[in-house]
Amino acid sequence: MSENILHNEQKLLNLLEKKFLLKESRIIRAKRVEVKVEPKEVIPVLLYAKENSGYIHFAHMSCVDWIEDGEFEVVYILWHPEEKINLFVKTRVPRDNGSLPNIDFIWRQANTYEREIREMFGLRFEGLEGRKEFILEDWNNIPPMRRDFDTEAYVKEVFFHRLGREDAKDVREKIQERTDEELPDFAKKYSRD
Amino acid sequence: MREKTTTLYLGPQHPGITGNMMVKLQVQGDTVVKAETHVGYLHRGFEKLMERRNWLQSFTIVCRICVPEPDPNEENYSRAVEEIEGREVPERAKYIRVMTLELARIATYLLWYGGQSGSAGLYTMPQWSVGDRNYILDLFEDLTGGRIYHMYIWPGGVRRDLPHGFKDKAMRTMDYLEKRLDDYDKLMFENSIFQKRAKGVGIIDPEKATEWGVVGPPLRACGIKSDVRKDDPYEVYDKLDFEVPAMEGSDVWTRALIRRFEIRQSINLVRQALDKMPSGEYYNKIPNPHKWTIPAGDAFVKTESARGEFAYYMVSDGSNKPRRVHVKGPAYVHGVTLLENLLVGENIADVSFIMNSLGTCPPEIER
Repeated sequence: MSENILHNEQKLLNLLEKKFLLKESRIIRAKRVEVKVEPKEVIPVLLYAKENSGYIHFAHMSCVDWIEDGEFEVVYILWHPEEKINLFVKTRVPRDNGSLPNIDFIWRQANTYEREIREMFGLRFEGLEGRKEFILEDWNNIPPMRRDFDTEAYVKEVFFHRLGREDAKDVREKIQERTDEELPDFAKKYSRD
Repeated sequence: MREKTTTLYLGPQHPGITGNMMVKLQVQGDTVVKAETHVGYLHRGFEKLMERRNWLQSFTIVCRICVPEPDPNEENYSRAVEEIEGREVPERAKYIRVMTLELARIATYLLWYGGQSGSAGLYTMPQWSVGDRNYILDLFEDLTGGRIYHMYIWPGGVRRDLPHGFKDKAMRTMDYLEKRLDDYDKLMFENSIFQKRAKGVGIIDPEKATEWGVVGPPLRACGIKSDVRKDDPYEVYDKLDFEVPAMEGSDVWTRALIRRFEIRQSINLVRQALDKMPSGEYYNKIPNPHKWTIPAGDAFVKTESARGEFAYYMVSDGSNKPRRVHVKGPAYVHGVTLLENLLVGENIADVSFIMNSLGTCPPEIER
């Protein structure tokens, strides 16, 4: 990739580096720029990107649980409709009692993402209003998208074992037990024996 | 006299709602004064399930995320894996993928024809368009073995090559559909009832549309030329010849016109992909799926689905399972914040009409 093609990407990086204290910044590939910031820098960076740089489309927001580091990584992904670049703004907050500022006054649809992340990861957004329940109903366990939520244990505890499989044996084992059964003619050509 | 406000629950079981979700309406007379989207009837925890399965097992889940349009999910998942891993995809596979995606777009638009006109009370149209959609499903059955869920576009390419005689059959189906579209026009677009219902209803402010996260046909109906296939080209869309339509109006009628134009364009794109398809390999074999690890990293990929930008954010920690797969369908914005604001001031009878024009698909709101 020549320097010329990534001209716009580099321009954006230079602007942001000059203006803000970035922990890390890089061009991932053409049309993808990534910056990592402290949680308190999130609103200034997002507002600057929207109001001054033309990143007006809020494309996505996601949260990743890095349980081994004791942190959540929250990613805001913006899109510039003219320059056709996706800007990733990443920040890390502690898993326990961490919080992020609410940004739904910048983009109203961020409200939905924040409500889902609050519910699924238990991450607090300062000043976030809106109905407490989004997808889950009467949930009294730890937030289910956290890595330490054990889906298997939860299922065993909450749901009963389906009747008809009382022996809880693997189907493949059961089939293997049937050695003396004669295969019907049409099935013989598929047999492994 | 002060009018009394009544609460009306539209859904989750309602023929006008495009799936299992509920819109809680506050109405005065028959005018909506407040709308709230309630989801949670369809949460299957796909994103969590994927964290417990290896990269290939997760792939079998993704097509289930959106029933009317599974292929953009498969394509997004595969491309995200390929981007993190740096896996090359053969040129032929890219053309086959484009053809599959465009067939899926046609099938979705045919379903939309049914939903949009059905919610306006024209019940002949759904019978026709859903019937014709079966011809596309027949093609999918020949190609992939499945009619609705295909599990065809997978990491490294596509699962199998085109079957013998597929090109001719596909071309014949495209010729047939193109003729049928003229009949659809007579039944739906030239129908004065449909025109009266659709014009001036559900208007999105064009100035704010991009900021509000509107994507796909509703955004193009605001006069904004935005299409992932052109803006951030994937597969071989940059080698094919097509145009992005944009019209002023931003009401249900304009959105319908945009889709009317695009279904014809998709037919043309299927023909182009079939004609330009090179011969050669169609699959870059992946290693043993149980031992297949993807290097640490993340990727954000997007596809232009029939309803708008469909995106995947995928994170790998270097193991044989995904760390996080986050799906964002167009309905995540269209069905919640946009719909809640758009419905205010509209008639109750237009609620499902507007929902259909936005392409709301509840399964991708909750995954």
